[in-house]
Amino acid sequence: MELIPILSTIILVATISTFILAIGAYILYKVREAKEVRTTVPKPAEVKGELVTPAAGQEQFPVYAEKSSGYASQRQPIFMSQEKQASQAKFTPQPQQYNAEKSKEAAVASERSRVKSTGSKFLKYTSEGYVTPQEDSKKTGALKWR
Amino acid sequence: MQRKQPVKRAPIILKNIRDKQNDNNSEGKLLRRILVSGLLSILLILVIIYTIPDTILTTSSLIEYATIVALIIFLFVLLFRYFAILVMAYMYVNEYTYKSTARFFPFVSIIVPVYNEEKVVVDSVKSLLELDYSNYEIIIVNDGSTDKTKEVAETLVGYQKGLRGNIKVSLINKPNGGKSQALNAGIKHSKAEIVLCMDGDSQLTPNSINVAVRHFTNPEIGAVAGNVKVLNRGKLFTDLQALEYIEGLNMARSAQSFVKLVNIIPGPIGLFRKRAIEEAGYYSSDTFAEDADLTLKILANGWKIYYEPNSISYTEAPEKLPQLLKQRYRWTRGILQSIRKHKKLMFNPTINFGDTFILWTMFYEALIWPAMNIAANLFFIIAAVFFGFTSLIFFWWAGLAFLDLVTALYCVAVEKEEFRLVGYSLIYRMFFILIIDVSKLMSTIEEFLGVRMTWGKLERVGASR
Repeated sequence: MELIPILSTIILVATISTFILAIGAYILYKVREAKEVRTTVPKPAEVKGELVTPAAGQEQFPVYAEKSSGYASQRQPIFMSQEKQASQAKFTPQPQQYNAEKSKEAAVASERSRVKSTGSKFLKYTSEGYVTPQEDSKKTGALKWR
Repeated sequence: MQRKQPVKRAPIILKNIRDKQNDNNSEGKLLRRILVSGLLSILLILVIIYTIPDTILTTSSLIEYATIVALIIFLFVLLFRYFAILVMAYMYVNEYTYKSTARFFPFVSIIVPVYNEEKVVVDSVKSLLELDYSNYEIIIVNDGSTDKTKEVAETLVGYQKGLRGNIKVSLINKPNGGKSQALNAGIKHSKAEIVLCMDGDSQLTPNSINVAVRHFTNPEIGAVAGNVKVLNRGKLFTDLQALEYIEGLNMARSAQSFVKLVNIIPGPIGLFRKRAIEEAGYYSSDTFAEDADLTLKILANGWKIYYEPNSISYTEAPEKLPQLLKQRYRWTRGILQSIRKHKKLMFNPTINFGDTFILWTMFYEALIWPAMNIAANLFFIIAAVFFGFTSLIFFWWAGLAFLDLVTALYCVAVEKEEFRLVGYSLIYRMFFILIIDVSKLMSTIEEFLGVRMTWGKLERVGASR
């Protein structure tokens, strides 16, 4: 007998059985679920809970914390209270949508305010942006006699 | 783990998030839906009967041609779906491999919601104390458990010895209000910028936080989805689910991550920027897939979501068929509820195109794909039983099994998983996926009809013991 008809018959029987099994199991699940007693309680606006935290005075356990930069092998033990640990969250940058136009405008505005504060009338454009002639002469490192 | 330590108890008031009242169960609406869909079906049949004499087709040949065309479309969609996911997942893995990592250790709060988890809560917290990360705390939220979970959890409160120092473990006891309310209570209590939400029965691998938090250096990232794996393997259903998690869920997540639009942050492990959760209005209780709902809300606010394959969480999968059906029933209805909640974004791509795309793919995976798979199987059964085309079903199975085998090989290699799982790909589609798809289709019909449902709770066995 050829192999394909045998395999086809096996697969056909398996598929039909799976169908029957799936539908049967589903009906059984629905019947079981229907037997369970269900009550819908309206949810209150607020509920009372209980907060269980470690008692005061336990915070001074030595905590081996990683530094925010450096290699993993360079860890040093430091004392870290609960408050200190929480403050580390400041390392997380403030999430904000990047807006190329806004950042450009902000950069130009800060440049203008900086230049205004110098009180200079003329500006020189360099690779580092607009600078006053005085600043530029300082940077160019004009020769000075000792 | 240290013995019971002195604790401080304080009463707290927890505000519930007000959800929109779901009026989909009203009988009038239900009857109207049945009536409208019935009338539309009758109208379509009448149009076909009326116009068929004008064509060269007879009724039987129309059915034959329609079936063949439907099958070709199905085959095309199936291949397109597989290759699109595979290519995008490959591109994501490629990108991931060459990306450098920065040292970044923000403070993280791990929220562990527990409800009747006395068997597994200790193992969960133990796995959390072995994390290769120092700057974190654990907040257990006991959601009104009726067993000894409260007593067991109280023994864990204190400063427990972790892998990199002492880790603060707190507990919030609250009346039962569902997982979403429990997670909200923990998130609100947290002072951290980043919160890790997980299931009470899940266990994280040591570098789960370490590898995931680095993505938050990108200010556009609002959340990072972790990699969920099956803990209790060794049985037919759990092994098949282990393969499904790798081949079906994780590969799809990798593909979505290529465009930073992961559509579901899994319940067993998800890291969120707290601000992203606050902007999204916390977890809601008006759907049965609170994780999918929150993910869609975060995406709608313009945040990007990434997938981190090395941030692994092991979870217990249902071992018996009724439990599996219960879980999938809840997932499907929850996803459909979430899609319906965000339907404005679905039909208006100008608001957020990424969200529209994600919602349509979710709709396709939850509704169209299972229906197509069942229809194709029914066609081959009818062709074999009534018309004698028995060999067709063999070639159909062989084609799909080959596709699944190749995909399983790729996924197992990428995830460095157990090689024996590849063997299950031969029965994966014809047996496992068919059962799941029948459950999905039934759930979809029930959701459409507005049949009431309950949350349900899976029996845990404490597999790691």
